[in-house]
Amino acid sequence: MIKFIEAIFQNLSTWGLPVLMVILGIVEFSFGLYKKHWNTNEKILDLVCYTIPRVVVRPLVTYFALKFLPYALPGLKDAFTWVPFWWGFLILCVADDLTQYWYHRLHHEVPFLWRFHRTHHSAPYMGMAMASRQNVIYTMFFSQTYLTTALVYLGLGYPALFVKGIKSIITTLAHSSIPWDKPFYEKKWLHPIAWVLERTISTPATHHAHHADSNDDGIGHYKGNFGNMFFLWDVIFGTGLITRQYPKAYGIKHYQQEEWYAQFLWPILKSKKEGSELSANGPMVKEDEAIVPATEEEPTSKIAVPSELKLT
Amino acid sequence: MKMEPQIANRIVRNILLSVFIYALPVLLMLLTFYFTGQRPWEKKPVPAAQVSK
Repeated sequence: MIKFIEAIFQNLSTWGLPVLMVILGIVEFSFGLYKKHWNTNEKILDLVCYTIPRVVVRPLVTYFALKFLPYALPGLKDAFTWVPFWWGFLILCVADDLTQYWYHRLHHEVPFLWRFHRTHHSAPYMGMAMASRQNVIYTMFFSQTYLTTALVYLGLGYPALFVKGIKSIITTLAHSSIPWDKPFYEKKWLHPIAWVLERTISTPATHHAHHADSNDDGIGHYKGNFGNMFFLWDVIFGTGLITRQYPKAYGIKHYQQEEWYAQFLWPILKSKKEGSELSANGPMVKEDEAIVPATEEEPTSKIAVPSELKLT
Repeated sequence: MKMEPQIANRIVRNILLSVFIYALPVLLMLLTFYFTGQRPWEKKPVPAAQVSK
């Protein structure tokens, strides 16, 4: 058993991560963490988004990028193999994750880009099933694929793969419906660790808040918490919200359960659902209807730990 | 639908700060080399075939 776990982590960048995700997904499903939201349309979409990028998109992009790079950067193959490993690791942690922070943030803040990222947010549940759920165009232009490929060409492949491995574990666990970070908030003696942890890396609490279907409860924060591996970027740029709470509902308020093929292949294929953001004449960004403020409970009273960080 | 001006301004400000953050670890590495006198780029990497022999 220990050897199998060891092998998963040693082969994280090849078969290790998919196996880890399948195991976590089975655990989540067994505990009923998808509730009753995982219908056939969602299942097909999740499965297609999990498989096609791994089997087709990423290998093709990497193959053609490695063919193209000798022309774009002639004479620079292995030019930076001299960079000591830990310096390479630090440089890449920043370069890789900050680039993804921006890739992600711009898809939320630039209206034109929203529909390429919407598929990831339409899932009304959290967990391994939706962790890879993305529109194919978002996947094709995903910053990390190009950055890792270019860095392998430049001779920084080893630290790049190391960063990729750590990042994939953090982002996978942040999407998981298993709230592994909860004990850090419940046990008082763990609070100092929680304070550092939630400001450094993405946790289920902060990332689930990003996937909430509403900002109105003081917990959800879909207009922020953009960090993938590091939450630090949200702290620095003032886009973060830490409440140590988990949203009650996930997804998009105006979700119309658009067809899986439209969610995966928009704008190549469009949704037949009238008024949908993914339909032929749909709006670029559909505004949520005005929410009537809740009267039964004050949102702030739900916050058990007064550690709310709102820098926006 | 257009982007709100304050969001556009915040993006520009944050991107400028990001340029500095991107450069920071590289500058730190070069400063370390400067103060410690290390010149790792002068070392030729040993080919893998020689190492395995």
